[in-house]
Amino acid sequence: MKSLIEQSHYEILEISRDAGLEEIERAYRLARMTYGNDSLATYSVLDADDTQAILERVECAYRVLSDDASRRAYDRFIAGDAPSERPPAADAERAEAAAPEPPPGAAVEPQPPAPEPLAPAAAPEEDSGEFDGKRLRRARMRCGVDVDQIASITRINPVYLTLLEDERFDQLPASVYVRGFVAAYARCVGLDPELVANSYMARLEGIRSAQRRGWLLGRR
Amino acid sequence: MTAGLEERNQLPPGRSEATRARMIAVGGGKGGVGQSFLVVNLATALARQGHRVVVVDVDLEGANLHTCLGVPPPLTSLADFVAQREEDLGKLVLDTPFPNLQLIAATHSNLATAHPSHSRRIRMVRQLRLMPADFIFLDLGAGTDSTVMDYFLIGDDGIVVMAPEPTSVENAYSFLRAAFYRRLRLAMVSHGVRQLVTQAMDMRNERGIRTPHDLLREIQKLDPDEGSRFVATVRTFRPRIVINAVRSADDIKLGFAARSVCRKYFGIESEYLGYVNWDETARQCVVARRPLVEVHPERDAARYIGRIAQKLSGAARRPAPGGAAPQRYPNPGLR
Repeated sequence: MKSLIEQSHYEILEISRDAGLEEIERAYRLARMTYGNDSLATYSVLDADDTQAILERVECAYRVLSDDASRRAYDRFIAGDAPSERPPAADAERAEAAAPEPPPGAAVEPQPPAPEPLAPAAAPEEDSGEFDGKRLRRARMRCGVDVDQIASITRINPVYLTLLEDERFDQLPASVYVRGFVAAYARCVGLDPELVANSYMARLEGIRSAQRRGWLLGRR
Repeated sequence: MTAGLEERNQLPPGRSEATRARMIAVGGGKGGVGQSFLVVNLATALARQGHRVVVVDVDLEGANLHTCLGVPPPLTSLADFVAQREEDLGKLVLDTPFPNLQLIAATHSNLATAHPSHSRRIRMVRQLRLMPADFIFLDLGAGTDSTVMDYFLIGDDGIVVMAPEPTSVENAYSFLRAAFYRRLRLAMVSHGVRQLVTQAMDMRNERGIRTPHDLLREIQKLDPDEGSRFVATVRTFRPRIVINAVRSADDIKLGFAARSVCRKYFGIESEYLGYVNWDETARQCVVARRPLVEVHPERDAARYIGRIAQKLSGAARRPAPGGAAPQRYPNPGLR
């Protein structure tokens, strides 16, 4: 019984791990229909916010799983959940160690390339703790999507999304807008929008008011 | 008070699991979605296949089954059993125009006798299980009170009927919610957790519990063991969905969509058993007081019903909605 946040892309689309593209497409279409506006199937149990949240996860899941490369990257991530603790080099060594010895006399086949790390070595996720731009970015990469994909799902200008990740608070608009961006971004990448927005905005407000104090002091 | 109607699982001597009647409860379809239509036609279809079938009209306030089957309004019925005027259910079984198909009717009663006491219900279920039948259908009518819920939960199969209309969908989910929370409440042991479940049933509860998942989180905070029990119980709740009065491809998809919503909202696995298309002769059949599968076996509706009947008769014996064999948890004996 997992919450939306805890579900993988496969669970969101209600398909098996080895689903083919046709099954993914079918599942995507059914989900779009089921959780679309004015859908009969959700009447009286899910409200517009719920269905919106589900649709965003569905979009994200579909984009990742329907593209071979991003699907493979995603599969690797959810399979070996703490590769972030190992530096990239160790992965390469491990791959070489696992490669079978070619039988004597057989043509030597080229070794398969070492698997690339999914994300730059990052600290393991904690359950709580501050949500900063870096964490948002890690969550996005975990989903295997790029900024443009999030932009098209959330309809937020990709420039703002990058500013969020880079924490360019001086270039972001008023807090009330930023909060909305953060919440939408969070939903898209499978995080709790309220938790993340509260944490991010607290950090932003803290830094912005420190900057303001700095200017005041500077003027003296 | 014991948990639900679980005692009835003791089999009488001479009956094994293999020969025990399969009890199928059909509910969720308040007001005109074709619940009785479905019960009568499924029962007839199975009887024509050679199975022995008994249909029971549980809805004392909205008794319809005898009419659908062309049985004259009976002099005695389930109402007599409920009111303790008759102790032997067997005496209330009526023949129908169809071989292998029998009926325990209800007659329109006044409200005072409409809801049997808990011990009456246990007695009824026990006697039903003793009956020499392959299938026993319980038509739950329009209710969503605890009586009806219990019947739904003790069935080997619980079928929820939906028509592709918002009113019907709303009723069906309301029914499922009630059955789901009742199932969970009965499985919880601690008084405090049971209270939480009761609170959750009220959509406007003060704790802000909006979904079954919210409820699980609250329970886990209170008592992790109950939390595990909750999760295990949810897994045993597997209702079946039938969509009636289908007129388009989208209507058919409603079954899959509802199954998805059951997963995402309730966290339960349901089965989309099948659909029946809307048929203009259905009304004529009701007026004629004969089941459609008998009057018009060539129509698509009859074939779709046949397909569902096939699935029911082929279904392996396994725990279903309330669970034919729910886990037994130590029970304090208190409601």
